[in-house]
Amino acid sequence: MSGFFEAVIDIFTSESTYINGALFAGFLAFAASGELVAERAGTINISVEGMLLGGAFTSAVGYHLTGSTIAAMAAGVLGGVIVAGVQAEMSHRLSADQFVVGLTLNILVFGLAGFLDNELEPDTELASRWEVPVLSDIPLLGQALFGQRWPFYLLYLLVPFTWWVLYRTRWGLELRSVGENPQSADVSGIDVNRRRRQSIYYAGLTSGLGGWFLIFGQIGLFEDSVVGGRGFIAIAAVIFGGWTLRGTIAGCVIFAGALSFRLSVQGLGYEVNSELLQSLPFIVTLAGMAVFAHRVRPPAALAQPFVRGLK
Amino acid sequence: MQSSADGLTGAGSLVESAPAVDIRGITERFGPVTACDGVDLTLRRGRIHGILGENGAGKSTLMKMLIGLVLPDEGSICIDGVPQQIHSPLAAASLGIGMVHQHFSLVDALTVWENVALGEAGRLNPASIRNRIGEIADHYGLIIDPDARVGNLTAGLRQRVEIIKCLRRDPSILIFDEPTSVLTPEESVQLFSSLRQVVTEEGRAVVLVSHKLDEVLHATDDISIMRQGKVVDRLLAGDTDAPTLARGMVGRDVSLRSESAALGVLVIDEDGAKALDSNASPDAVPAVSSPPILTIDRATLRGPGGTPVLDDFSLELHPGEIVGVAGVEGNGQRELGDLLSSLVSLNSGSVAIEGTRVPDGRSGAMAKAGIGVIPEDRHDSGIVLDMTLAENLILVDQSRVSTGGVINQVELDDFAREMISQFGIHCSGPDAPMWSLSGGNQQRVVLARELAQHPKVLVAAQPTRGLDVGAIEYMGDRLKSAAADGVAVLLISSELEEILDLSHRIVVMHAGRIVGGMDRANVSLESLGLMMGGVAQ
Amino acid sequence: MTEGASSQRGARLGEWLFLYGLSILAALVLSALLVESTGGAWRSVVSALIDGSLRKPARWGETLGTAAPILLVAVGTIVSGRAGLINIGQEGQLLVGAAFATYFGFLIGGPGPFNVVVILFFGVVGGALWAGVAALLKFWRNVPEVLSTLLLVTVGGQLVAYGLSQSWLLLAPLADRGNRNQVSSQLADDNRLPRPEIFGNEISFAVILAVVAAVLVSILLSRTVWGFRLRMLGRNPRAAQRSGVAQTRYGATALMLSGGFAGLAGAAMLAGGGFAFGNYQLVPGFATNIGWTGLLVALVAREKALVAIPVAFIFACLRTGSSFVGATGVEGRITDVIQGFLVLALLVPPAVMFLRDRRRSRAAATDRA
Repeated sequence: MSGFFEAVIDIFTSESTYINGALFAGFLAFAASGELVAERAGTINISVEGMLLGGAFTSAVGYHLTGSTIAAMAAGVLGGVIVAGVQAEMSHRLSADQFVVGLTLNILVFGLAGFLDNELEPDTELASRWEVPVLSDIPLLGQALFGQRWPFYLLYLLVPFTWWVLYRTRWGLELRSVGENPQSADVSGIDVNRRRRQSIYYAGLTSGLGGWFLIFGQIGLFEDSVVGGRGFIAIAAVIFGGWTLRGTIAGCVIFAGALSFRLSVQGLGYEVNSELLQSLPFIVTLAGMAVFAHRVRPPAALAQPFVRGLK
Repeated sequence: MQSSADGLTGAGSLVESAPAVDIRGITERFGPVTACDGVDLTLRRGRIHGILGENGAGKSTLMKMLIGLVLPDEGSICIDGVPQQIHSPLAAASLGIGMVHQHFSLVDALTVWENVALGEAGRLNPASIRNRIGEIADHYGLIIDPDARVGNLTAGLRQRVEIIKCLRRDPSILIFDEPTSVLTPEESVQLFSSLRQVVTEEGRAVVLVSHKLDEVLHATDDISIMRQGKVVDRLLAGDTDAPTLARGMVGRDVSLRSESAALGVLVIDEDGAKALDSNASPDAVPAVSSPPILTIDRATLRGPGGTPVLDDFSLELHPGEIVGVAGVEGNGQRELGDLLSSLVSLNSGSVAIEGTRVPDGRSGAMAKAGIGVIPEDRHDSGIVLDMTLAENLILVDQSRVSTGGVINQVELDDFAREMISQFGIHCSGPDAPMWSLSGGNQQRVVLARELAQHPKVLVAAQPTRGLDVGAIEYMGDRLKSAAADGVAVLLISSELEEILDLSHRIVVMHAGRIVGGMDRANVSLESLGLMMGGVAQ
Repeated sequence: MTEGASSQRGARLGEWLFLYGLSILAALVLSALLVESTGGAWRSVVSALIDGSLRKPARWGETLGTAAPILLVAVGTIVSGRAGLINIGQEGQLLVGAAFATYFGFLIGGPGPFNVVVILFFGVVGGALWAGVAALLKFWRNVPEVLSTLLLVTVGGQLVAYGLSQSWLLLAPLADRGNRNQVSSQLADDNRLPRPEIFGNEISFAVILAVVAAVLVSILLSRTVWGFRLRMLGRNPRAAQRSGVAQTRYGATALMLSGGFAGLAGAAMLAGGGFAFGNYQLVPGFATNIGWTGLLVALVAREKALVAIPVAFIFACLRTGSSFVGATGVEGRITDVIQGFLVLALLVPPAVMFLRDRRRSRAAATDRA
């Protein structure tokens, strides 16, 4: 048993744990920030997986065509937004079931990306690393937070921006009202479905960025399995966080921690059964939801489509 | 500039050259139903205009057009003499039209200032909104905490927020839609004096939409009576009286006494303190000597914030009596209905039928114990819109049409037809989808289902809300005959007129408990009013 | 009024047909464009699809055999869907069911036909238990089942993979492994579902199982008291609560039933699948997206069990046809894309009709805006 404790201490004192954790948490945070906005406006955007994958693929293609990481970023955003477009228009203009649309989109994007990847086989390259002077020398956390490749730093802009948009602007106020009580919002003159569509587009934007970050800030190449179900963990993070931004980021950190823990255990050479470890982050997610989900309050109109006059 | 056809030429009243609102020939159809039929209406500044009509007369639809939620099929609306197309609430606001809604305009999860800010354009400036709220509060006496969460406020305070939200935009035309259902009698008086202030001091136009005769008679200057989508009469409030208004509303001579509930009339005698009794009270006074059939003992239920929604609530019902639970909406009536529908679990206290305790919160227990419910909101827990009429009739108990777990379609059909004829339900047949029935007919289905179970207790929560006079009369008759058959009827209503019309005994509910009561024979309106306001007697 | 009503109904039917036809056409055209743009020929793709699913020898039997587990999963999804629950974990429930079936099939090892029943039975049990985890989380801790069932797919996959790596669980003894690492023993001949030959095609018994299940569930849902109460729960949970339909009991039962059907599908694939499904052995990746396809079928069939039968068949055609598409030089994944486009396209007509109805009842009002 002491071997196990030593292992755990090793893990928590190794820098790679934190670096991997930050990478995973960052990826989740890109997706979860947008997902939070979509859910506060009342949609469970289950196509976030497709948005991430779509953004990853289009960013790879963008780089392949132009050789520029920044162009790739724009392409990634475009990819996420296109997927968001289908979800938004079908769920909140055509009133199709948001789960069917979302799940189908995931499968469709997966198929398209795999199909086109085989045809195009885009070349990609990791973005350069930017080390922030002084801050990146902090023990344990320094490299993780300030020594990453530059796409990571976009988070330091995106998360506060999301906070500002959601809580300090009129748009955010209207979004929140639409997710809590669409009838009242409608009567007050707000176009409910339009705000919901916009919230999904926002999710597409951040997830597109997340897909781009995955390729250029973390992995360096595209494969259709590159997202691997983590979009759903982003949704879980939003629930875990009680639909607040602070809680969502905390959720991202904790779930990423579980993912990273598994990698570190293997990386440090400890012999633990790999399959069980692989399921650890998902089990942690489930446990997290079980402990917290009943105490927090979702937006009152979450997952309830709005059609005027149908109340 | 005005046509003399509108009949409003009160001598000495200030008449503007162009009326604030001039509605001509407005028609609105929803499929086969004509909600408004060639409506002509003129609203002037400096006067309070009452639009009186029973439920379904077309008043709400007309107001929805003024506020931009509905576009008219035909006709025109002129604001200050200029024809306008009002296609959204924002457009209405820019024309100076504001409405204080009855229910659907506040978001519980947001604070007061956020709610007041909702629906406008431009940057969000919390400081300036708070200032404005303070200004309005001082000017009109509508004190409120801008940072309170709306979900935690009482109904009266929420209406205050609605009013502030409306006034903030400085509207020149204010519409109040059935404002007094959430107010105690004193609060209503206070509201009307604020309205008077708004109108005379500031030259605005105020419209009061209501189905309550008394209210319109005493609080307004000009009255338009609507019936079946048309304006049937235009009068000066000072020149008319209750019977005339009643006749206009219903279209025939009407006994104020017997239809007082439907008309929103409190029938009082000369000295004004006591309501007339014998003729208006139900036929037989039941023998209260038999033991209580329903006993609610010290029921306590805590709401999300920890405050008790039902607070040591105790009540006994005897077979054959109609007990009216009076009180302003939002004092626990809904939770009382939910309790008796097995929809909530108590924190403490109990419910018993014939002495046997019924587990609260356990699915179906109350129904099985013999408690029938006509719920406050049938869409919420009373019917399933997507099922057929026949299926809705067997929601609670399928045993009468099934054997061995299989539903017998023939028996179901027969049962449905029987109920349709017995209760006079207008529909295309047993297979009619529930959503195709009108509100009144849906309510009849609920009534039919509950009575067919031969309940021991029948809970009727706001049973006539949204119904027209005919349907209201019918419901009242049915409740009385159920009582005559020995059913204990619990009538929960925020309409005092209904309570007085039907109950043998009246109790008043405030803040989750009973604060007092009286027999119908000894009713004192003053006491009732005080109790509704929370003063225990 | 009846004359007008029947001609009105005729007109509506025409509208529906038109909308569906248009949407399906759009989906197919998009797919064809995709094929052409990457250098393929859509005609040869279509031909390959038809060859692979129906035309070539023994193919339509294969298609039917593929449709069977898809239909079983779909039927289960319909049951939980009617109760208002969103189960998207069929892929995992299927796999766990197949794992249970394998383990107990070998453990109990009774005589032939008896063991087949055992295998199927434990498939149901496995799937139901796996869905039961989600039910527990939902009704005890209020975790939304849409997320828990989903996360359990991955967890289930990992657990079964672990089982396949341990000889005390699922791993076959060394001699039986062939040259593969993680594989279970193969079911003995008499432990397999019969595959009668009809017109040169081997039709797995599972097909009959699936069709019977679909019909049975359809009757149960529409004609029994239980089905009625389940529908009430799905449409108006509060009315259901008042009427004695305990959300916990009925909901959990529905969810577990749903998992049970998926597990049964897994067991049927194991015991009746032939080459398409691992050749009577449990292998990594056993589920091969049958679970997801079954879910989609249920959604496309708009929760009607009888409609799910032809829809499952069509999706199965796409699947078996796709293996022939590769030979035309087009990436086999195109069928996933076609499937995705088709489902999205099929969502459009009901949405459009719904909006059209509402707009009609508002007459000219909205057009004025």
